[in-house]
Amino acid sequence: MAIHQNCEGMNRRDCMKLGLGALLGGGLVDALRARGSAGDTTAAKTSCILFWLDGGPSHFETFDPKPDAPAEIRGEFKPIPTKVPGMFFSENMTKLAAIGDKLTIVRSVRHDQNNHGAGNHYMMTGAPTRIPVGCGAFVSFHPSMGSVVSAERGAAHGLPAYFSIPEMSRSGGPNFLGARHAPFVVSDDPNGASFTVRDVTIPRELDDGRALNRRELREKLDQFKRFHDRAAGDPVLSADDNYRQAVSIMTSAEAQRAFEIYREPDRVRTAFGRTALGQRALLARRLVEAGVPFVTIVNGGWDHHSDIFPAFRKHGQEMESVVAALISDLDQRGLLDTTLVLVMGEFGRSPKISTLSGSKTPGRDHWSSAISVLAAGCRTPRGQVVGATDRSGYAPIEKIYGPENLVSSVYLKLGINPDKTLYNSTGRPTHLVSDPRPIAELMG
Amino acid sequence: MRSQKQFAGCLFALLAVIGAGADGIAAEPVRPADVAAPAKPVTFEFDVQPLLTRFGCNAGACHGKSRGQNGFALSLLGFDADFDYDALIHEGRGRRIFPSTPEYSLLLRKPSGQMPHGGGKRFDIDSPQYRLLYAWIKAGAPRTPADAPKLLCVVVEPGNRSLVRQESLQLRVLAEYSDGTRRDVTDGSAFQSNDGTLAGVDANGLVKAGELPGEAAIMARYMNNIAVCAVTIPVPGAVPAEAYRTLPRHNHIDELVWQKLKLLGILPSAPAGDATFHRRAYLRAIGRLPTPEETRAFLADHRPDKRVRLIDQLLERPEYADFWANKWADLLRPNPYRAGIKAVWNLDSWLRAAFRKNMPYDQFVRELITAQGSTWHNGAAVIFRDRPEPVELGASISQLFLGTRLECAKCHHHPFEVWGQDDFFGFAAFFARVGHKGQGLSPPISGGEEMIYTTETGQLKHGRTGATVTPKLLAGAPLTLGPNDDPREALAEWMTSPDNPFFAKVMANRIWKDVMGQGLVEPVDDLRATNPPSNGPLLDALAEDFRKQGYDIKKLIREIMASYVFSLSTEPNPRNVADLKNFSRYYRDRMRAEVLLDAVNDVLGTEETFAAMPPGSRATQLWTHRSPSLFLDTFSRPDPNLDPPCERSSDCTTPQVLHLMNSPALSRKLSLETARPAKLAANKDSNEKIVEEIYLLAYCRYPTDVEKKTAVAVLTASGNRRRAVEDLFWAILNTPEFLFID
Repeated sequence: MAIHQNCEGMNRRDCMKLGLGALLGGGLVDALRARGSAGDTTAAKTSCILFWLDGGPSHFETFDPKPDAPAEIRGEFKPIPTKVPGMFFSENMTKLAAIGDKLTIVRSVRHDQNNHGAGNHYMMTGAPTRIPVGCGAFVSFHPSMGSVVSAERGAAHGLPAYFSIPEMSRSGGPNFLGARHAPFVVSDDPNGASFTVRDVTIPRELDDGRALNRRELREKLDQFKRFHDRAAGDPVLSADDNYRQAVSIMTSAEAQRAFEIYREPDRVRTAFGRTALGQRALLARRLVEAGVPFVTIVNGGWDHHSDIFPAFRKHGQEMESVVAALISDLDQRGLLDTTLVLVMGEFGRSPKISTLSGSKTPGRDHWSSAISVLAAGCRTPRGQVVGATDRSGYAPIEKIYGPENLVSSVYLKLGINPDKTLYNSTGRPTHLVSDPRPIAELMG
Repeated sequence: MRSQKQFAGCLFALLAVIGAGADGIAAEPVRPADVAAPAKPVTFEFDVQPLLTRFGCNAGACHGKSRGQNGFALSLLGFDADFDYDALIHEGRGRRIFPSTPEYSLLLRKPSGQMPHGGGKRFDIDSPQYRLLYAWIKAGAPRTPADAPKLLCVVVEPGNRSLVRQESLQLRVLAEYSDGTRRDVTDGSAFQSNDGTLAGVDANGLVKAGELPGEAAIMARYMNNIAVCAVTIPVPGAVPAEAYRTLPRHNHIDELVWQKLKLLGILPSAPAGDATFHRRAYLRAIGRLPTPEETRAFLADHRPDKRVRLIDQLLERPEYADFWANKWADLLRPNPYRAGIKAVWNLDSWLRAAFRKNMPYDQFVRELITAQGSTWHNGAAVIFRDRPEPVELGASISQLFLGTRLECAKCHHHPFEVWGQDDFFGFAAFFARVGHKGQGLSPPISGGEEMIYTTETGQLKHGRTGATVTPKLLAGAPLTLGPNDDPREALAEWMTSPDNPFFAKVMANRIWKDVMGQGLVEPVDDLRATNPPSNGPLLDALAEDFRKQGYDIKKLIREIMASYVFSLSTEPNPRNVADLKNFSRYYRDRMRAEVLLDAVNDVLGTEETFAAMPPGSRATQLWTHRSPSLFLDTFSRPDPNLDPPCERSSDCTTPQVLHLMNSPALSRKLSLETARPAKLAANKDSNEKIVEEIYLLAYCRYPTDVEKKTAVAVLTASGNRRRAVEDLFWAILNTPEFLFID
């Protein structure tokens, strides 16, 4: 870790953390030691791929069908059996149904933030917003799961530890953990012929020889004086470390392979689907293989106030086939044991089908009282349903969990103590998750 | 009687076994050997609460957190005696204390390690603390009578001290009471060092100096009272007084810095050369690189006062306003998705206008705090649109302008400060009569116009007691205000009055940091006794000067930049190598995101295109952090998703290095037909001239002969001059000499 020279070179959070760490009986040295000794347990090799279905996917049309409910609730689709006896999905989830024996469905997550801004925040960080926010809000009051994982775990080969593809989700930021734990966003379409991951690869128009020449030239011209005594805290030394790490990402075959999606056999690329979403999932798998512990795939368009049934026939099927391909692929490679795949959004959808004024087709509205979450991998028991909602899908009636429990489960699986105390930018101690109890059924 | 006691003993032993669980049978509870009643009765507030604080029972990580620990909750650091007494006596089904058989009390058995305790063993059975608690329980757990002497303050002895490496020092804490008595409370005090590597302190108040020279503040806390002792560890070896006497003194800043260095046995670095000074002055005063022409002219100028002339010229440049307004925009700028685009733009314009006019700082703050009128016409009023709640306003305004973090005191007594909940709500109550009319917040558009005014009525309720709160100045008395008095006017008057202890200091510290790269107090908005400035007399003098000069921001910047200290080299010498906070040398700092992006464009002769900005706009002119820019995000700007956006780090990260090396946008700029590399390559200048130009553009200095030879050789050897020039630019932009303010 870089030894910062002063508070300008050290961000405020570090300052506070070190200052307050002393209160708890240690000083700078202890704090540094604590960081250095981040355990090398099996949990340290685990990762998470989060499919973030922005807008709030319907639980009825995915994993919690209600065939016995009245027509204005049950909708157009029928339940289908899955590979697990007694577990039923909605009819468009055919590929996931076929691998139902690899999945856990939690049908009983709920919270009370019924708009996109607040719901996003709650599910993505495990903390409700500090003040009420509106539907369109992009807010951050607490670090997102990915940023926490970046801060607590880091990644191999100097790779960024938290990727978000193709954009950052609304509340996917680092908050007080600071910019270096912001997600590394890969916006380009990996399905495109000339796809590269920005910045980590040499620009397309340069050949390798020229890039190497440039770096050699830089070495020659870099005459800036370094103050090598560590006590002087020269920030240029840490910039040098960053440079070496950057070059190692660019030149390490292992790191580069993570981005070179074209190396995948056609068979595999086709299995994921030759769409932007499919190839993003494949890229996520390659990143996880290379040692990245957290990848979010942001997929929008799940706010189905109208047109919900046609949308699930198309978008729903596309999503489920990509997720199924990802999980099957991870399983074949033996990576599912160490990779958690999560599929969720900010909330579920209202039981009553509605047609809002101004729209011609029916849909469902926001419903945070019942949320279905798909989880697979990383020692999550295979082939089970956790919890249940009432016969009309209004609310969970057993094994009721909040976003806190879900997020705590993710942290535990990734080797992070959800009961940890963090210090925010004002130096205030903040629980990583206010209720650190995991969803026991996910923990295996 | 005897049998009854035996029965009780069995029952409690049984309970203890249950409590001990898998750990097996707990030992028989222990009664202290010496149960003689102390001379004075042991009472709750006076004796017991301090122990709960001393042993960390009521710390934020244990029973002091809001939901307590394993069902036992205390108020954080003992700020609420009634609550704590109730928790000990009545909750937990009364098992926490047993006056008839004190040794069975959980309050004794758990912390003394006789029963499993999540917090571990806190004290021995034969410790004075155990005896004290025992005596208290035995006496029926009395509270301290209301008429008992009140704790006034604590003092730590000895006062400030100088230590040699590895030397130890035992501190003694004395409490002073309203009846004039003093009591040694070292045993009941908690200690904390603000820099454990320089000087650590153990739980008993034993300070131990480390290996490095420097200074540490040791805080002693007894209940809600705090005393601080500064420990100085000078650099070993004597420095002749002559060495300090002969140091240059441009103004009083230098004198005060030298005094501090003398105390620590530190000698300052040599002064920086002209070119380094020139580049540093540009970046610190106006946030841009000098052009090659400006650098040439400055280096060729031989007038002895050319540095002061430069400072004066820079402060009159138009870039000044954008650069400094941007720093305040970081602090005040709302998220347009929350407060509305027009309102946010309006506040941004207001800030820029204020810095263009060099509005005196007291007026700047008064106009903000007392702002009235339309959020579409008075930009200052927008802060009240963004933060409609008095409690939010109280917390942010006290932190921004008074360097006082009251936020903690919203829910509990501030753990490192004198502030309690009454202070927090008393301060927030100044904003209880801010009226709102028109269209309020309606994210995501929030496009409406809102009128901010002062109502005749309006109350704030205390968060804990629910009582109506009267506006109360910090460390002052509650104010009586009539319906025609504007509480915000009263607050502004107090804040900006010459005897306000915080106001001028906080801004002087901010400006010092902006010019010197590091604050005298860090973080800049956290001034308190337990976080002392690295040079108190200097901060006092800067604040005093600032006040006397009519809160003229430019004059303060000029004063700091004109000091000899500002001109010091960053290169350490053997006597100041470990000095990271006394300004014995200048400290290196990475350019901040906007400045760096502008610098890249200035070097390459390119322009940035920002959404919602006219073509040719500079990054320092952006009115919102929501303007998309991968470059700015990578180099850190206040998180656009943070609400409010206020954090920014100057960390160096690997993604930043990668972005400068490989980003497609930068790569495109390097090879643009209209960019400088192409133009330089196309003209007839000699290779020497091209190399010199690149060095002047990026490093703002001439190349050395060796550098020139190396770079010219590259151009000469290449069959493709344009490619070679592009490569040179790339290489230079990727070196730390470009990235850092030296």
